[in-house]
Amino acid sequence: MSHAEVNEEFYNSNQLIDLTNCEREPIHIPGSIQSYGLLLVLKMPELTIIQVSSNTLALLGLPPEQLLNQPLELLLEETDIHYLRHCLQNFKLERNPLQIFTIKIKGSAQNFYGIVHLIEGVVVLELELVKLIQTTTTPGLYSQVKATLSQLRVTLTVREFCQSIAEEVQRLTGFDRVMIYRFDEEYNGEVIAEARAAEKVDELTTYLGLHYPASDIPRQARVLYLLNWIRLIANVSYTPVSVIPTLNPVTAQILDMSSTALRSVSPVHIQYLKNMGVKASMSISLLKEDRLWGLIACHHYSSALYVPYETRTACELFGQVLSLQLSTKEDSENYDYRVKLQAVQSKLVQFMSVDEHYLDGLVKHQPNLLDFIEAQGVAICFNKEYLLLGQTPTKLEVRDLVAWLEANKAADRPADVYYTNALSKEYEVAANFKDVASGLLAISISQTFTQYILWFRPEVIQAVDWGGNPNKPVQLAEDGPQLLPRTSFELWKELVQQKSLPWHDYEIKAAHEFREAILGVMLMRQTGDLIRLNQELEQSNIELDAFSYIASHDLKEPLRGIHNYSKMLIEDYAQQLDDEGKEKLHTLARLTQRMEGLLDSLLYFSQVGRLDFSVTEADLNEVVHQALDMLHARIEQEGVEIQIPQPLPAIRCDRVRLSEVYSNLISNAIKYNNKAEKSVEIGYLKPKTSGKPLVFYVKDNGIGIMPEYYETIFMIFKRLHKRDRFGGGTGAGLTITKKIVERHGGKIWVESVYGEGSIFYFTLEESGTYEVSL
Amino acid sequence: MITETPLDPRAIIVVEDSDEDYETILWIFKKLAVTHPVIRCEDGEELLHYLSQQSKRTERDEILQPGLIMLDLNLPGIDGRQILQRIKANERFKVVPVVVLTTTSNPKDIKTCYQNGANSYILKPVDLEKFVRTMQRLLDYWFEVSLLPDIRIA
Repeated sequence: MSHAEVNEEFYNSNQLIDLTNCEREPIHIPGSIQSYGLLLVLKMPELTIIQVSSNTLALLGLPPEQLLNQPLELLLEETDIHYLRHCLQNFKLERNPLQIFTIKIKGSAQNFYGIVHLIEGVVVLELELVKLIQTTTTPGLYSQVKATLSQLRVTLTVREFCQSIAEEVQRLTGFDRVMIYRFDEEYNGEVIAEARAAEKVDELTTYLGLHYPASDIPRQARVLYLLNWIRLIANVSYTPVSVIPTLNPVTAQILDMSSTALRSVSPVHIQYLKNMGVKASMSISLLKEDRLWGLIACHHYSSALYVPYETRTACELFGQVLSLQLSTKEDSENYDYRVKLQAVQSKLVQFMSVDEHYLDGLVKHQPNLLDFIEAQGVAICFNKEYLLLGQTPTKLEVRDLVAWLEANKAADRPADVYYTNALSKEYEVAANFKDVASGLLAISISQTFTQYILWFRPEVIQAVDWGGNPNKPVQLAEDGPQLLPRTSFELWKELVQQKSLPWHDYEIKAAHEFREAILGVMLMRQTGDLIRLNQELEQSNIELDAFSYIASHDLKEPLRGIHNYSKMLIEDYAQQLDDEGKEKLHTLARLTQRMEGLLDSLLYFSQVGRLDFSVTEADLNEVVHQALDMLHARIEQEGVEIQIPQPLPAIRCDRVRLSEVYSNLISNAIKYNNKAEKSVEIGYLKPKTSGKPLVFYVKDNGIGIMPEYYETIFMIFKRLHKRDRFGGGTGAGLTITKKIVERHGGKIWVESVYGEGSIFYFTLEESGTYEVSL
Repeated sequence: MITETPLDPRAIIVVEDSDEDYETILWIFKKLAVTHPVIRCEDGEELLHYLSQQSKRTERDEILQPGLIMLDLNLPGIDGRQILQRIKANERFKVVPVVVLTTTSNPKDIKTCYQNGANSYILKPVDLEKFVRTMQRLLDYWFEVSLLPDIRIA
């Protein structure tokens, strides 16, 4: 594909014609060079000439056809070739041009600068005529540069620094105008420094303070600015010199000229420069931390202007020094503010760690959140609560905004910190409260909960002085729509609406750090909460002990009195009381005893929940027999048949408590049984799958339980039957049993057929098996 | 219970703050026909005062001497446990048997009392008949089965 075809495709596309079309122009493979030099492409390793610029006849006296496929020896002296090979071997020249030497061309009286680099496996040798030098490359360039640099050290601000560099570049190169552009986030440029040639000051209106839209320098041009830090267009009206043949024989591609200084310029850019009246231009990239921060842009209006390689190198050096200084200078300019941010942050963190509710620490003291990152309003969203400080949208508006942030969390933007200085662009509703919140900086404190801190900045209607109307960059040519860069560079004022002052890097960084700090405090507070909970638990245990005491002593004392007095009454006043009176007093005495029983159960239940268990390895057979021994009299009396179908395992448990479990379950099995031949089976089931616990059971042929009471029976003092049926009891037995089982980590449940019998099952752990060998 | 003298010189000292409980004890004593003089101290203060008065008396003056102390643990003022310590720290009275008569069955209390020299630890039941039986056994044991020391011997 030829250069012409490439552009053909580009210009004929049915895209909306706008300067953003430039974004698609393949400007790194123009297939031609500027006319102020020569280009040779050499094949490795023999250095045969495989491509050549078509201007060799003019500059060397040899037509390109005579050079193609010829050894380099045809042009260069053996010593120069030797040196070239040396450079290729010893320096990293891949996409990294190096001026190697001044070359003498055989049969030519002229000397050339040789600049060499490697790309896609071929050697690109650029030659610039030494005699072309027009400006006075004053002797002692090095000392001039050195002097300038040492002078720069005393400048304070970025602008001052830029101004000095602009003046220095102007002086070294002789350009009519040297500007320093600074890009904003969207790569719109602002002229922040300008130096005009002394004799042109009156003639040239200043561009200082003007803005240029990002489309002036399309994205792929910015990429090249990152690659090559200096670019000279010596003559805007040059005729592009094509490279012959178009396709590189080695790569079968159009030569990638990304690193070629002589690379031909995009016709759109040439048109743009012409529209501005520029005849020669040079630009030097300014980088801050690998991002294109700005450009040193040089314009010459009176004529073409060739800047010799050495001078360009000196300018490039200025650019690099400026780039290096940018981070430190820019950062130090905001030093005070950043120190304040730090100080306020540490105060806020301190308040947060002390206040009962940590978010209170952000608003209730001095300084508060409003004194932190510069904002006119702050909102804290804590789940469903909203705290507003300063000038903010309404609570409802903040709520909706937070919902929008939450909804966007899942998208590609980082969830923890979000910021914009044109909120209504992303969230249209924000136009309603643009006067308080055109700018938003938000941090999300929790992954799981809706917890945000939002900073708001009001709309600042900014007057921007554009170099021409940025919204009308396209001119329609007479013969139909054609892309022509805008011609008017007259001051064009624009009011920027629904935008706030931008959030600075260090403010965003501070927000990030603040978020981390809050998370730290939250973590610390949570640990603190745990400690406090523990203390509260301890306290409630102490209170339970006090309760036990009250239950056992203070409550019982009057109870005992009532009991004793009613008994004494019965005895002492037996003569005066009739039978009914005596019976009522007996009932009174019996009730007091029942009450005592209840109190004792309650007390015991509270102890089972709290007291330490002594878990040891125990033979369950012994545990069960201990329980059976205790119930011996009852079993004998009722003639209960006790079955233990298989020997029970050895398990880990508190043997005393577990014996109590068995004695409770067995005595219930006997108690709630109306059969003539009562039987109780005690056994266990092995789990079908490993990792599940053993299930123990006590099975009876008793009265059974209806399913609706399966849960109720375990509740304290709940009884299913009339008090004195089935031998009475306080109704705490199963509750205590359940508690003991649960304290072992197990579960208890019942299965029953009403009228036929019940089976109480229980486990003593959550998983695994308790079976151990003794 | 059969006694030869109408009045046993060995007094039963009941340290009990509850009037109802004291009255119940008296009722039981009456039922059991106890001939020992009964001295009630409502709290520890009173008991200690009584004992100090006793130690000032000469041998001849003494008609009454403490034979058995029934001590409630939960008393206003000085706690029963402390009173026990004080009695057992007293050279003259530490030989007098102290029966702790209380409502707390806390194992810790029981152990502490015995550690501090209690001679018996008895629960007041909520069952008058049982209480009567307990008292009978108790008095039988200390006054009939056991021989008690004479605190007048130096």
